[in-house]
Amino acid sequence: MLIKHQDKIGSAETIRKNFESLGYICSESIATAVFLACQLQKPILVEGPPGVGKTELAKKTAQYLSSPLIRMQCYEGLDEAKALYEWKYGKQLLYTQLLKDQLGDVMRGAKGLDESVERLHQFGDIFYSEEFLETRPLLQALREEDGAILLIDEIDKADQEFEAFLLELLSDYQVSIPEIGTIKARSRPIVILTSNNTRELGDALKRRCLHLYIPFPDPKLEQDIIASQVPEMEQALRKQVVGFVNQLRQMALKKLPAVSESIDWARALLLLNVENLDRQWIENTLNLLLKFQEDIEVVEPEINQLLQKMRQSKS
Amino acid sequence: MQQIIGNFIQALRHHGLPVSPAETLDALRAVQLIGLQNPQRLKAALGMTLAKNLSHQQQFEDLFEQFFQLNQGLLDQTSTQALPSAPEAVTSDADQPDSPTRNSALSQPQDTPDQEAVKSPLAKLLLDDNQTALQMAIASGGESSGASEMRLFTQKAQVSYRILQQLGDRQLTQELSELATDEHQLNLVEDLKQRRQRLLEQIQDYVEQQYLLYSQKAGQQLRESNLQKIKLTNIDHSYLHQMTKLVQKTAKQLASMHSRRRRLSKRGLLDVKKTIAANAAYDGFMFHTKWKSTRVERPKVMVLCDVSGSVSRVARFLLLFLYSLQDVLPRVRSFVFASNLGEVTEEFTQLDLNNAIAQIMDQWANRPTDYGRALVDFKQLALKDIDNKTTVIMLGDARNNNSESQAGIWREVYQRSQRVLWLNPEGRYSWNSGDSIMNEYAPFCSRVEPCNSLRDLSRILGSLLKHS
Repeated sequence: MLIKHQDKIGSAETIRKNFESLGYICSESIATAVFLACQLQKPILVEGPPGVGKTELAKKTAQYLSSPLIRMQCYEGLDEAKALYEWKYGKQLLYTQLLKDQLGDVMRGAKGLDESVERLHQFGDIFYSEEFLETRPLLQALREEDGAILLIDEIDKADQEFEAFLLELLSDYQVSIPEIGTIKARSRPIVILTSNNTRELGDALKRRCLHLYIPFPDPKLEQDIIASQVPEMEQALRKQVVGFVNQLRQMALKKLPAVSESIDWARALLLLNVENLDRQWIENTLNLLLKFQEDIEVVEPEINQLLQKMRQSKS
Repeated sequence: MQQIIGNFIQALRHHGLPVSPAETLDALRAVQLIGLQNPQRLKAALGMTLAKNLSHQQQFEDLFEQFFQLNQGLLDQTSTQALPSAPEAVTSDADQPDSPTRNSALSQPQDTPDQEAVKSPLAKLLLDDNQTALQMAIASGGESSGASEMRLFTQKAQVSYRILQQLGDRQLTQELSELATDEHQLNLVEDLKQRRQRLLEQIQDYVEQQYLLYSQKAGQQLRESNLQKIKLTNIDHSYLHQMTKLVQKTAKQLASMHSRRRRLSKRGLLDVKKTIAANAAYDGFMFHTKWKSTRVERPKVMVLCDVSGSVSRVARFLLLFLYSLQDVLPRVRSFVFASNLGEVTEEFTQLDLNNAIAQIMDQWANRPTDYGRALVDFKQLALKDIDNKTTVIMLGDARNNNSESQAGIWREVYQRSQRVLWLNPEGRYSWNSGDSIMNEYAPFCSRVEPCNSLRDLSRILGSLLKHS
């Protein structure tokens, strides 16, 4: 897809730099993945802990390539009627009723049943034509003239059979609708699938995708990310923020703070005019980082120790 | 380049990463696009196309380092050409696998005074002090000696010896003994001997690395397939851990094979036929819409496990297996007994698997078997819940210590349920011998199977899933 943006996807380096100017600081592997996905026209399967910017990646890619982002949120029980297409049953029923009188006209003069049926056949499958087709995200992505970014979010939440159903779409960029036939992509969309790994995805699906694992960023990268998201923050404090969050990630918590949490925290600290991280401030704002009361209870008594460790690791 | 990537994928496969041909092609295309200049990016690109889950990713990264370091070793000392990056250098050299002579010829004249004194090619090579040429020679020797086909660690010595012979060690030793007679050459001899020793070490390192890259896993695969077949009652304690993993792996295979078919339902489509039929009374006005739906029929399974003495080992695995199948069989109720029978479904849902099994064994096992008593308990506990969709699996050797069989209850179970499977860990020939009363229960079973290996288990449970 997207021949007009060929220069934008010339190399992984270009992508990385341009993403940076859009405010998405990405690692080498992320840039490589986007580059390969564009060049090889393969879907990317993004895995990683929640909050490391999986969905954001799709959004930024769409913004960068200035193509529409079509998002499909997966959930248990999602089926093709909600993902691909559905017939507008209401409209079909309404039309049959409205056209009842017309039918009388059409049928007038027909001799016998055979001829009537013959005439009816001439109208073909009016009620199963594109007019009555309700497009859902997947079909919409295929019908987009200039290609699109298709984000299939949290694929692990969908059922296994839906995963199997996606295979045709992912490898050939086409879907089969029994009443109409096979619909091919007008222009191949870039597909980004995300997964939180609540269940293991099938091998067939994985084989068709580039597999990108986004881990928690290393401290250096995370500082860059915060710098771009919260530019007003002093560098010293930024370092402390990242250091402390990294210490937290070493602990056995129910939900580890991710990048999005550290950004929120950094914003909060900025609002509160904090100049130096100390126990008091951390205690007051800990609920921004940790989303479970149990976690907070585990961390609170350790704060001093964590702060100490943080200082040591920096020196 | 294809050669290198091909070898690398070979190595990955040896370590148990399932790399398909399609992925190989993807990897090649990716490498073409990315180029070889930036090792970091090369690693990302290959990782993305070849390793598709987290544990594989980890393995991939280790192997990547190992593999490209090994190949880089060939070029570390390349003084003649300054190559931009390691992987590219590997490529350029891999194209000429038989280039040691070329390389040594190319290498700059070294400070080797006695070069003319020696005649054998290996001695020249050693004195030349050209590490690249040496490494190349070892590599090409290794290739023809089958270094990448080693399967067992015992082969390592043999391969090292063959490589040494390939390099022309015989001539060298001959020459050494000739030179030793010459007083003037004693220094040279000493030097050569040292260099030969170093060469030996290099060869051993090389072989070791090759073994780690290509063959270490083969032994493990062999062991796994043997474990599949071995009698569960005979498995050594030290293998239990590995066995547990294997059970889970097999169960997962079964689960993924059957889960799709099990859930063929919930299609949100309008059922035109039913809708028209339902609205015929309203003169074609569609008041009621009917939607397509097919009922999922997941089998209800009840398992009775004899956990006494000899059977407990197998019971352990059966339970493990069933609970690894949670995804496909969400409604498993388990009962264990030796003399008394009790339901242990709760334990499985609350504790993690190993703890649960340990606790169950602790609580219920180690009592004399009494099938009659157990069946009476079972009747009270669960008989009323058995319906025509229930499969009852009994695992036991039917050795009843000569007490009452209560086959009547078993008959009732058989009549109410859809199916009754009896898995007996003993072979058929020992049924009905001694205190075994298999023949009393056998008439009331849909199937009676001897079951004493993981393979049996997976086969029987697989057919259970298929037919339900």
